[in-house]
Amino acid sequence: MSKDHFLEVRGLKKYFDADRPSFFSREARHVHAVDGVDFQLRHSEVIALVGESGCGKSTLALLLMGLEEPTEGYISFEGRDITHLNDNERKGLRRKIQMIFQDPYESLNPTQTIEEIINEPLVVHGIGNNKIERDERVKKAMEDSGLKPAEVYLQRFPHELSGGQRQRVVIAAALVLEPEILLADEPVSMLDVSIRAEIINLLAELRITRQIAVIFITHDLGSVGFFADRVAVMYLGRIVEIGTMLEVLEKTQHPYTKALISVIPVPNPRLRHERIILQGETPNPIDLPSGCRFHPRCPLAIATCKVSDPPFITLSKTHQAACLLLVK
Amino acid sequence: MSIQTVEVKAKVPSPSTNFWQTYRQSKLGIAGLVLLLVITVIAIFAPVLSPYDPKSSAGVGAGQVYNPPSAAHWLGTDDAGRDVFSNFMYGARVSLLVGFFASFISVGIGGTIGIVAGYYGGRVENILMRFTDTMLVIPDLPLIVVIVALTKPSLLNIIFVIGIFGWTTTARMVRSQTLAVKSRKFVLRARAIGAGRRHIIRHHILPLVMPILVVQAVLVVSVAVLNESTLSFLGLGDPTALSWGQMLNYAFARGAMSTGAWWALVAPGIGIIWVVLGLTLVGQGLEHVLNPRLDTHHLMPGRPVVVNHEASGESENPTEKNPLLEVRNLSINYINEGKPPARAVENISFTLKEGELIGLVGESGCGKTTLMLALLRLLPSAGQIVNGQVIFSGKDLTALNEQEINAVRWKDISIVFQGAMNALNPVRTVGDQIAEAIIKHMPGFPRDQRLQERVIELLDLVGIAADHKEHYPHQYSGGMRQRAMIAMALACNPQIIIADEPTTALDVMIQAQILELLDSLRKKLGLAIIFVTHDLGVVAEICDKVLVMYGGVTAEYADVDIIYNESRHPYTQELLKAFPDLTKPKKKLSSIPGYPPRLDALPIGCRFAPRCRLAFARCHTEQPLLQKLNDSQSAVHIASCHLLEVSK
Repeated sequence: MSKDHFLEVRGLKKYFDADRPSFFSREARHVHAVDGVDFQLRHSEVIALVGESGCGKSTLALLLMGLEEPTEGYISFEGRDITHLNDNERKGLRRKIQMIFQDPYESLNPTQTIEEIINEPLVVHGIGNNKIERDERVKKAMEDSGLKPAEVYLQRFPHELSGGQRQRVVIAAALVLEPEILLADEPVSMLDVSIRAEIINLLAELRITRQIAVIFITHDLGSVGFFADRVAVMYLGRIVEIGTMLEVLEKTQHPYTKALISVIPVPNPRLRHERIILQGETPNPIDLPSGCRFHPRCPLAIATCKVSDPPFITLSKTHQAACLLLVK
Repeated sequence: MSIQTVEVKAKVPSPSTNFWQTYRQSKLGIAGLVLLLVITVIAIFAPVLSPYDPKSSAGVGAGQVYNPPSAAHWLGTDDAGRDVFSNFMYGARVSLLVGFFASFISVGIGGTIGIVAGYYGGRVENILMRFTDTMLVIPDLPLIVVIVALTKPSLLNIIFVIGIFGWTTTARMVRSQTLAVKSRKFVLRARAIGAGRRHIIRHHILPLVMPILVVQAVLVVSVAVLNESTLSFLGLGDPTALSWGQMLNYAFARGAMSTGAWWALVAPGIGIIWVVLGLTLVGQGLEHVLNPRLDTHHLMPGRPVVVNHEASGESENPTEKNPLLEVRNLSINYINEGKPPARAVENISFTLKEGELIGLVGESGCGKTTLMLALLRLLPSAGQIVNGQVIFSGKDLTALNEQEINAVRWKDISIVFQGAMNALNPVRTVGDQIAEAIIKHMPGFPRDQRLQERVIELLDLVGIAADHKEHYPHQYSGGMRQRAMIAMALACNPQIIIADEPTTALDVMIQAQILELLDSLRKKLGLAIIFVTHDLGVVAEICDKVLVMYGGVTAEYADVDIIYNESRHPYTQELLKAFPDLTKPKKKLSSIPGYPPRLDALPIGCRFAPRCRLAFARCHTEQPLLQKLNDSQSAVHIASCHLLEVSK
């Protein structure tokens, strides 16, 4: 492992038990939520994890946060194996890796004031010797998250804030621990377009001012395209294409990525273009398709796609994709 | 979406300040509180207030048993010549004492079991809940009677025995509430922060379970009061503490019935009813605070529309020949008691032709949903159309009576709601629900094979295979549910569909599928569509015309190409800049600082002025009028901005 890969994930799998098909069936079935994921993250790098619902991206986030136990595989942070940790070790790690959730309406406790919410992580971790020190930290986290001046917000309740402001509160409650990695699970999909820009710009600023690495999980490549360094496209529990943002956007290799890019709305009617609209939805991850998992929906599938699982093809030092059409 | 703001305000009162205000609205709750306060004061101050010592028969001669009510004894005397009114006052002390302490024990046990079972889950939950179920089937009262009969009849014993029963309901309710709270995202976030179980229970579960505990506690007090009365009536009470139940017991045992001394029975009876009634009413009042929506009728259409038919003849009306729908200078107010009405929508005009798709764009809270609801007169009761007309096939929809507008709703104009995906009934098949929609709106439709054929035809139209007809909503994915909602909207062959944010919660690929579907429907059926969204990108893909709204007024209205390439209003321009454009990667997104104005605090001048980078003095004092712009190819291009007047 190279030194600058401070987070590394190898062969990560998470299977959930599924209901048996019938009462008498003996066959144990699994939901293959995450099914062999590898990637690395560098210091203050922004990586976008893109895919439709059901592709396992949110489960991957929970695995990285240690909120779910992996079935198989390996996660390391700063050279240390963090795949399985006890409660105490995990708690220490939480200061380094923090998470932002999708729904800012749901992820704040309605009975707490903004001050209580942002102060809570400090209380939990016993940070700060006295109230003055903690207040100072809370205030800094709030102002870094764009809640300025902090005094205006401290005594308010979440329902008194707008969606964008609430998402800033969630971000402040993560920043107050001064993490090194921020996992953002669809942080803007519930917000108005005009507010999305603010939150994305805020995250882009944080990686510069605080050197925070960001894992940005989204179904909409359009919303992160411009600030991610690298993009990983997921389909049915696996990464199907990974590369720098420009490689993935401009030298797209995987037919799934091509389709995802083609349906990003373009804000100009003069640039209306042919969209590759995949029919149906991600198949259920219990009975996985044979061969390439994408073949039932792939507009370019050939006979061999039904039988053989495509290997990861290296296209450049940074760009890889898993598609049989790339095998020469 | 001003309705939402109105609702939200009613739904989430800030914990302490609004509690009393909301509680006060419940007349029954107030009545209950008064009843309880009076009886509590009587109980506490019984030694001071009571005219006689309950233990002595002072002032009554021997043999004067069961004296009827008189000036000296308001409620008469009992068999021993004691004053019934004084007994009643002292009885209140015992009854309330037992009630409150037993309730405290009971709710404490039930709450602890419920929270522990709900939060820890797994085996702990299994054991605790099976225990609860077992307790639930054992009849409380007979068991209480037996245990009390076997133990020393002291007040403490009675409180304890009543307290350790009757917690099962509390435990079950608290467990289900705990499960609900536990699954909420803020609990997951607390775990992500590193909080342990104890911390989460104390700071996140308990505050949200507390309201249930309070309501339960109140209800359990009344059960405990009744139980104590029953025990005492059966002669199992503490003989040293005179309670209402004991008064009844003595009266019955010592011939009050046969001597016609009704007062000896009525007084304790009234006491018991008084307390139970008071507690029940207080329970109702608390319900009102916790679920204020129980008795709100926000989305009920009803209030007659106030229409000023002398619609102000603005000269800048967009006019087109023979439109299918023409909205002229429509204005909508929300009536706010005691305050000036909120001007939610002001002077909106647009036209829609057959097969045309118009995009209605704006941030949340800019009046889009209010406008759409007004078209079909589905406004909440506080909403009133104060000006303007909605002309549909020669009729003014704002002037129709309820029956006439009903004939238009769904049959000519139907709506696909934003949250509609959750509007499907989970226990009925999708096919059934579509059939129901057909019959509800076309009562004359034959209920035979033809109905099933029509359902299949509708499903086919939205791209759902016929064999999914018998499936339940949970077997559908989000995209399919939205398709089913569109099928329902198509049930009566409407000419116009209003789609309110139909793709907002969907993935980009599914969003693309739904857009493709709507586009094909208008080509196939000549359907006109009003597409409400906050997402300019979506609009660019399929719309013909765009109406950009801000703070309830038209910012700009033009053909889609003009909006994207020659927009003149600063708000439209800012919105476009905020949109990530993959054709220009690495470009920093610009955002519009601030938030849309609140309806109850609209700026005096241009509603966008406080956020506008180009605003000048006049913008803050004078509201700009709609300007017709003739500088483009568009059939119609209007905007409201002082800058445009200056350049003219």
